[in-house]
Amino acid sequence: MCYGRPVKGIMLFLAQVSILIYFITRGWRDIQGFFTLGTTKGDAWLGIEGDNSVVMLLMGIFAWIILAVFIALYRVNLKDVYQMQKRKEQGKRLLTFKEEAAQFLDKKFYMTVLVLPVIGVCIFNILPILFMILIAFTNYGGAVVPPELVDWVGFENFKKLVTLSQFAPTFFKILGWNLVWAVISTALNYFAGLGLALLLEKECVKGKAFWRAFPVLAYAIPGFITLMAFKFMFSYGGPVNQMIVANGGTAIGFLDLDAKWSARLIGLLVNCWISVPSIMLLATGNLANRDMSLYEAARIDGASRWKQFEKLTMPFMLFSTMPVLLGQFTGNFNNFGIFYFLRGGLYLDDYFLASDTDLLINWLYNLSIDNNYYCIGAAISLVIFLITSVISLAVYIKSPSYREEDTFQ
Amino acid sequence: MRKKWSVGRIFDTGITYLILIVVAFVFFLPCLWLILASFSKSGTIYSFDGFFPKEYSLASFQKLFTDTALYNYPKWFMNTLFVATASCILGTFLVILTAYTMSRFEFKARKPMMKTTMVLGMFPSFMGMTAVYLLMTQFNLINHLWGLILIYAAGAPMGYLTQKGFFDTIPKAIDEAARIDGATNFQVFTKINLPLSKPIIVYTALTSFTWPWSDFILPKLLLKEKDLYTVAVGLMSLDETEFARFAAGSVFIAVPIVVLYFFLVKDMVNGMAQGAVKG
Amino acid sequence: MTRRRIAFAMAMALCVGALSGCGDTVETAENNEGTEQKAESGQVSMGSSVFNGELEKNVTIQVLENDTAISKGYFEELIQAFNEAYAEYGITAVDANMDQYLDLANDGPYGYGPDVLYQANDIIMQYATGKHIYPLPIEQLECYDSIPQTAWDAYKTEVDGTAYYCGVPVNVQAPMLYYRTDLLPDDWETTWDNDGDKVPDMVENWNDMYAFSNSRHEADNSKYGYMKSLYDVYFSSGFLFSYGGYVFGSNNTDPSDIGFSKGEAEKGAWVLQQLAGAMNEECIDDTITSNAYSKLADGTYFATISTPDVYSTFIDELKVQYENEGMNAVQAEETAKKNLVMTTLPQLPASGDLTEEQPELIDSKTMGGVNGYAVSAYTKYPNACLAFINFATSYDMMVTRSEMLGIAPAREDAAATAGGTSELLYKELETGNIILMPSLQEVSQIWTPGQTFFTDLAKDAFRSENEKKYKDLPSMKAGLEEVDQQIYDAIFTLK
Repeated sequence: MCYGRPVKGIMLFLAQVSILIYFITRGWRDIQGFFTLGTTKGDAWLGIEGDNSVVMLLMGIFAWIILAVFIALYRVNLKDVYQMQKRKEQGKRLLTFKEEAAQFLDKKFYMTVLVLPVIGVCIFNILPILFMILIAFTNYGGAVVPPELVDWVGFENFKKLVTLSQFAPTFFKILGWNLVWAVISTALNYFAGLGLALLLEKECVKGKAFWRAFPVLAYAIPGFITLMAFKFMFSYGGPVNQMIVANGGTAIGFLDLDAKWSARLIGLLVNCWISVPSIMLLATGNLANRDMSLYEAARIDGASRWKQFEKLTMPFMLFSTMPVLLGQFTGNFNNFGIFYFLRGGLYLDDYFLASDTDLLINWLYNLSIDNNYYCIGAAISLVIFLITSVISLAVYIKSPSYREEDTFQ
Repeated sequence: MRKKWSVGRIFDTGITYLILIVVAFVFFLPCLWLILASFSKSGTIYSFDGFFPKEYSLASFQKLFTDTALYNYPKWFMNTLFVATASCILGTFLVILTAYTMSRFEFKARKPMMKTTMVLGMFPSFMGMTAVYLLMTQFNLINHLWGLILIYAAGAPMGYLTQKGFFDTIPKAIDEAARIDGATNFQVFTKINLPLSKPIIVYTALTSFTWPWSDFILPKLLLKEKDLYTVAVGLMSLDETEFARFAAGSVFIAVPIVVLYFFLVKDMVNGMAQGAVKG
Repeated sequence: MTRRRIAFAMAMALCVGALSGCGDTVETAENNEGTEQKAESGQVSMGSSVFNGELEKNVTIQVLENDTAISKGYFEELIQAFNEAYAEYGITAVDANMDQYLDLANDGPYGYGPDVLYQANDIIMQYATGKHIYPLPIEQLECYDSIPQTAWDAYKTEVDGTAYYCGVPVNVQAPMLYYRTDLLPDDWETTWDNDGDKVPDMVENWNDMYAFSNSRHEADNSKYGYMKSLYDVYFSSGFLFSYGGYVFGSNNTDPSDIGFSKGEAEKGAWVLQQLAGAMNEECIDDTITSNAYSKLADGTYFATISTPDVYSTFIDELKVQYENEGMNAVQAEETAKKNLVMTTLPQLPASGDLTEEQPELIDSKTMGGVNGYAVSAYTKYPNACLAFINFATSYDMMVTRSEMLGIAPAREDAAATAGGTSELLYKELETGNIILMPSLQEVSQIWTPGQTFFTDLAKDAFRSENEKKYKDLPSMKAGLEEVDQQIYDAIFTLK
């Protein structure tokens, strides 16, 4: 700061001072609260305003994050000073403040751009996730909800999970179906969406905007409304059964408790109906970016349509939509809504508090949220999360869209 | 292949149209049913003759917009429009910038950040809702539409990988040429890459507009006053005997998105395919 | 059906369900001031100091009412009358404008709840456990003597050996039989009134209802007698209770003792299964629940079961139907009110056999609730809130409420004035035929297992002979035991 850069120095200084003020006024208390999780139990009847453990936990995490920012700023400051010193020793001219600021539109453009998203993601995504993970190590839930005080319990919840033998058979049964579901529905949605986009790209199709409008219409109706409408359609009094009965058949329980596979199939198709339009739109956008000269060359070489698709289109699409594919996979893996709306509220034989269409996330909901056992729910979801994230991370790191980002450049 | 009406070509075209018609049918039929239901006179779905209502009327729509004492649909609609528009603009801006940066710049934290976001996206999101709610009570943003916009916009960059995939397919050679001509990174982005990325911007805008439009978990969590409801929450609070009104509300909710689509559809395919620049 | 809606609303809020507690933003400090004052009410100790009788001046209190009361205009009338009466104190009551199923435990601590709320007793008492609502000095209320002790008991809680009352009963909710007199056979007085009491037999006992349903369906294939979605635990569990089943042991206070299979509850299951046989497949899912209004109106169904608060919806549908048939509005409404009857449930055969000719009859028991008002512990104006409740539960307001909404008032005098159903329901409550919903948090675990069983039972009536799961009483008993086990698992596995 002694290198004649008063503006920059003051800015860094102000940032650090304001953080210090935060710590003096509340941050310090928040950090303490993070460890104690509250000491006074509230009682509205006696007019005692107690501590709210969960808020304390949350604000505690918040304080830790601020502390991390403070340390990072401090390091930046030191590094900056060090570099200036080095430049000076080497006899180079020091950059003026204006020049340094200009760097943020050029060389360090990425920093300028990423500041806002990173802050937003930290507060609204990372903070809640950290909160959730930490909940797995407390006894929050059941009868222990504010005004009761929550405590840290270490690995108690995980021990409980291991010892509950009833869980194992149901867990593996559901996991199996969940994987099947995620793979099939991802493949189905992806290829149907891609196929539709390719079909609409064909030269012979006139009025593309018109044809594309139908899936968009489906896309425009909110998912939960679609699900409720489909549930009604396949119910005993719904139009499908009405038609069957009108033609002399007997009503079929497409989604009732005996309908394991027909319910699963309907789930797959309905999910397809909901997801295909957005994949189609994305694929359309991406296909527009293909290098058409390659196709020209292929045609001259006499490659068939299928060969063109296999050798040119597929690698290109897989490359540019790999993250979407993975996103689809995890989205489907954790698709809470579909069976909750279509076939919720059943506990079937051979399953421990679950039905044969439930995915792990539905089961998690039954076990924890519905029961208010947040800590156990957090523990289970942490386990599920570890499994899914390891799988998809491995796939992602191996994929060309991560390793060879410049394949198509 | 020559542009000649060979048998194979006619056959191919025929099949293509056949598939298109089937697809259109599949997507349109449930929507049509919802539309018909909203025009049903009796107001219940059980007085249908098979697929069609027995009698038609505009009463449900009239009720939807005039009978606002308990269910103030016009107000909900405006709220949703406001939230969706604001989060669409903010969200698209943030996502595109993030994706572009992650695609074009080399810096130390880049790969770790890519991996981190990949993993974070995998978290069962509803478990974090408790924390979001608590956070918003602490920031005093309950019962404020801006609180909702803040969360949607802040969460949007998490999905940047899709857009990054697109930017990765735009040749870097153009950038480098421009840089040699003395353009700053900021200029390269605004003058060269942005115009090329119309399809993905349209896609992003459409998705970030639709998301708040159909989400009900967050608004339900953060908006307690009925006058602040978004359409999704409002429709959920409708009494079960109000089916025709529900259907009418659901149909009308789709209008802005379809309109938006027709506005944007031209830009969607106007990417590099028509552009002269190829690396 | 309100149960389903609540479950649904809770699912909407997903995991925040149990977020609760005492936020640091809420002012409860003023309660401290009064600790030394001796309360004038009989209630000494906790919370009594809050209600010191000194009305807060120039304040606005937010009142949460249910949607029906708002849409039928009753609430408007109530707050207008109240605001006029309390204009001199400057107290204004306004519509809280929030979701009727709002969770006070979730929103109250952070300052986003109403001051006064109207909800079902089991919900209100869950708030009482977390002390989100105040215990009330009920002896001070004008309605105190007119409401039976059973109704008050729905709001009783014991803390450290002292009994507290946390809510004021407004109306009794229990399943009621709805049927149309104009759909009875013309000669019912000779053919369907064996006991000659001028009341059709099929609405007096289930055996005749079963016989009538079958004959009505045989005469016209598209018509049915009694129809109801059976999966609904709220309505179907009453059949189990009539034969000795219960929800939780020790008077619904011991969640470790689950009693859906206890006593001879399997006979109730058998009755349900026989009834399902006289319906169609639509009784398996929620179809009938949502189509009953219009199907009763167009004459497809003769009778169904629902709660009293939807009486006006049935009337509206029927009125529209009559208008379509050519009556004018006034005439249609009068005819609808004349023809649609809401009454208590028919009696059951002691044997559980609906085909028995001269059955020994027992009373039907039902699962019910008492809806009422409570005062949020996060309010700043408890005395004004109490004044509002006192006003809203006055004789006049209760009679108006009953007239406009068709509900059955908990006040004895108002029930007598309202007559008819209200009085019947009131008597049912007094005789103990209405079993109040348990006020424990654990009650949220009974719905899914119960629902699965009842769905299975209803489905069984439509399975082919060799696929049937519930062929005799022991198999039904086993099915019910499975329900008990599932509920037990759901409550205790992770505890």
